[in-house]
Amino acid sequence: MNILSTLLPFVSSVVSFVFAFLVYKRYLARRGPHLLLWGIGMTMYGIGGFCEAYYGMFGWNPLVFRLWYLFGAMLVAAWLGQGTVYLLAKRKWANILMIVLGLASVYGAIRVFGAELDPAMMGSSLHTGSELSGRAITSGGVRILTPFFNLYGTVTLVGGAAYSIWIFWRKRILLHRVIGNIFIAVGALLPAFGGTFSRFGIGGALYISELLGAILLFIGFIRSTTPMASAPVEAPVEAPIKGPKK
Amino acid sequence: MANNDQRPSTERKYPELYEKLIPVALVVIIVAIVVLFFVAIAVALGLFSGK
Repeated sequence: MNILSTLLPFVSSVVSFVFAFLVYKRYLARRGPHLLLWGIGMTMYGIGGFCEAYYGMFGWNPLVFRLWYLFGAMLVAAWLGQGTVYLLAKRKWANILMIVLGLASVYGAIRVFGAELDPAMMGSSLHTGSELSGRAITSGGVRILTPFFNLYGTVTLVGGAAYSIWIFWRKRILLHRVIGNIFIAVGALLPAFGGTFSRFGIGGALYISELLGAILLFIGFIRSTTPMASAPVEAPVEAPIKGPKK
Repeated sequence: MANNDQRPSTERKYPELYEKLIPVALVVIIVAIVVLFFVAIAVALGLFSGK
């Protein structure tokens, strides 16, 4: 058992589930589909982390692997991003994209749970973070779906955060949301880069980036939803003193 | 007659630190999105093994 490849994803999982609980709680109080989708997305994040911790402790079994691949590798970013779509886009377009994502997710789930797995890769507990991949799936046409989900998720979640930062910064309003969105954007980017480093064989990169990602997303959410004690943006500044117009 | 130019401006400003950091963060985030976009294309094209 590798301590890092068990402990890090387990902590990620706990952070994600706590975060998801708070988002669901906020959803029950305030409603809003973006909160529900972020709650679902963070639940997926937590499931992915839990499956990785299981892998670190016991190695893969087919069910845990499929759950990890579906929720942790394929769907999580897209569902989080869909929450941002509901926050920023017109409801009509958000609904259309939701239907497309829902159908694509069902298709992805059918393909992942119907895929053949390499039995040699199930059960081994001798691994590093760099070996965490979908290579165990031997059926064609499954792993190719993942980049499309992740691209959609990254563009909508990180792009949406960047767009919000730009809008608030341009108007110099709601500093807490600007800061929160920076945390959210960086938190969402980290696992994506961790996955990339993992592909290049940097062991443990994915686990560390997922943990930091979960923590930063959590901080970003708290920061975005908590106005700052002082409101520096409200203070007017003196205009430069100019001479009278001629 | 009041001189309009000497009235306090209502232009909003963030604290100095944030005025400097936010644009840098925004540029870094946008560059990161572009890099990931190309990585995703590379993965989709099978240039290196994906998830």
